[in-house]
Amino acid sequence: MSLIEIPVGPQHPALHEPIMLRVRADGEKVVDVQVVNGYNHRGAEKLGERNTWIKDIFLYSRVCGICNTVHAQTYTQGVEFIGGIEVPPRAQYLRTLIMELERIHSHMLICAVMAEVVGFDSLFMLMMRDREPVMMLKELVTGNRVLSDYYTLGGVRRDIDEVKKDKILKVLEKVEERVKYYKKVFLEDFTLSKRLRDVGIIKPSDAVRHSLVGPTLRGSGVKSDVRRDDPYAAYGEIPFNVITYDGCDSLSRMLVRFDETLESIEMVRYILKHLPQGPIAPKTPIRVIPKGEAFSRVEAPRGELFYHIVSLGGDKPYRVKVRTPSFHNIINGVIAYKDANIADVPVILTSVDPCVSCTERVLVIDETSGKSKVLRLKDLSRGLR
Amino acid sequence: MSKVVDYLRSLSLKELEVKQPRRYVFEVSPDKLRDVIGGVIKVSPQTYVSAISGVDYINEGVIEVNYCLWVIEDKVMVVLKVRVPRDSPKVPTIYDLIPGALNSELEAYDLVGVVFEGNDKLRRGFLTPPEIASQNVFPLRKDFKV
Repeated sequence: MSLIEIPVGPQHPALHEPIMLRVRADGEKVVDVQVVNGYNHRGAEKLGERNTWIKDIFLYSRVCGICNTVHAQTYTQGVEFIGGIEVPPRAQYLRTLIMELERIHSHMLICAVMAEVVGFDSLFMLMMRDREPVMMLKELVTGNRVLSDYYTLGGVRRDIDEVKKDKILKVLEKVEERVKYYKKVFLEDFTLSKRLRDVGIIKPSDAVRHSLVGPTLRGSGVKSDVRRDDPYAAYGEIPFNVITYDGCDSLSRMLVRFDETLESIEMVRYILKHLPQGPIAPKTPIRVIPKGEAFSRVEAPRGELFYHIVSLGGDKPYRVKVRTPSFHNIINGVIAYKDANIADVPVILTSVDPCVSCTERVLVIDETSGKSKVLRLKDLSRGLR
Repeated sequence: MSKVVDYLRSLSLKELEVKQPRRYVFEVSPDKLRDVIGGVIKVSPQTYVSAISGVDYINEGVIEVNYCLWVIEDKVMVVLKVRVPRDSPKVPTIYDLIPGALNSELEAYDLVGVVFEGNDKLRRGFLTPPEIASQNVFPLRKDFKV
């Protein structure tokens, strides 16, 4: 039988990390997947060398819309290491609080998208409805629901009071109940189980060898979490469990996210209960950083986020290298597609929580007849017709 | 203490001082790189490539390639620094030892111009647009003007 090539998701200028999966299939079976990258987010590394240290906080917050505070955290903590800047305990706790709120809404988002990809649209809508109050909490703490600009060198830019604390706890109570219910749906629903179980198998040894990170790695049973192994912000003081599942399939990766969401809710409660008193930022802004370099790591919702920052002294960085978790999970995660069905490609892609243009159009080309047909990824997920 | 760090110290490599906890930085020559990384994954197989970061030190005429490896078992990050001349920045590939290094090698080649000898998948245009990839210029080098 002739091979058919299906390009999934070409570049999309409105989204970061644009990417295309060139899927070659023999009938229904995927033979090979080649990743074709986009290139528009890379300008951030070059631009960062021209900006000042403080301006770069705002630049790197914008690398990702969903997980923007973790980018700010990775950048600022790297710069703080080089400059020997002390961050007050209250600011460390507030940073941890906002990163955990971000993890909750990010995990809820991808679980909702997964429901949509498998054709369970009502579940998608309900989960997105219940995710919205968490976005509202982010706005309550930082002043903005998506791009927060919450960080500054040596601290954070806004404090919270008792009223805000109560509001957060009240909203999370409702969110927890809903997340528990959605986890039950993912575990017990026949259709979801059929579409996710044993789909996109990644063996533990392959996950490590191919440098996969985050819930994708933990869904293969490898206990690796930057928050526990390489503590930053206030994570060294907050109790939590590292979640792993041994199924190595798409379902395991989603279940890791559900359990992590529940863990994050507990962590937020702990943070609010034990929030230290004191200042949240230095009195004068820090503008000049001495010579040095830092290798900064943070557990973003999608996995290990890495920044390599080089300073030769002065008010600007010499080099900032950004490595997002999706860069590993999407490109090296192609091992999961081998021998899968074409209809499972969107499921496997979604299961690694890709930060790409998921709703982009798909062009199906029949190599023998040369005919092409434009489909949306959603149509592809329901099978080729 | 970390088994991998002990192993690297036993090779009498030059160790650089770092302020960050759980970071160990060593200088390695290009011809020894494959042996060292092969040794690291033998000592601790649960090691992955976090990133390969190329830095262009134009005034010294050197490109520094930083291999950032996270050792899951030991909970340490080992950084191997390889310094190569800027006019001929060649290092051996490690893609066959750790397949997860492929994307990082492609990126460092396309943006900084580090040639990973033995990697048959190296290509321009992995992250750069055709008008840049078609010329012999590398956007993250210091002499590339935007």
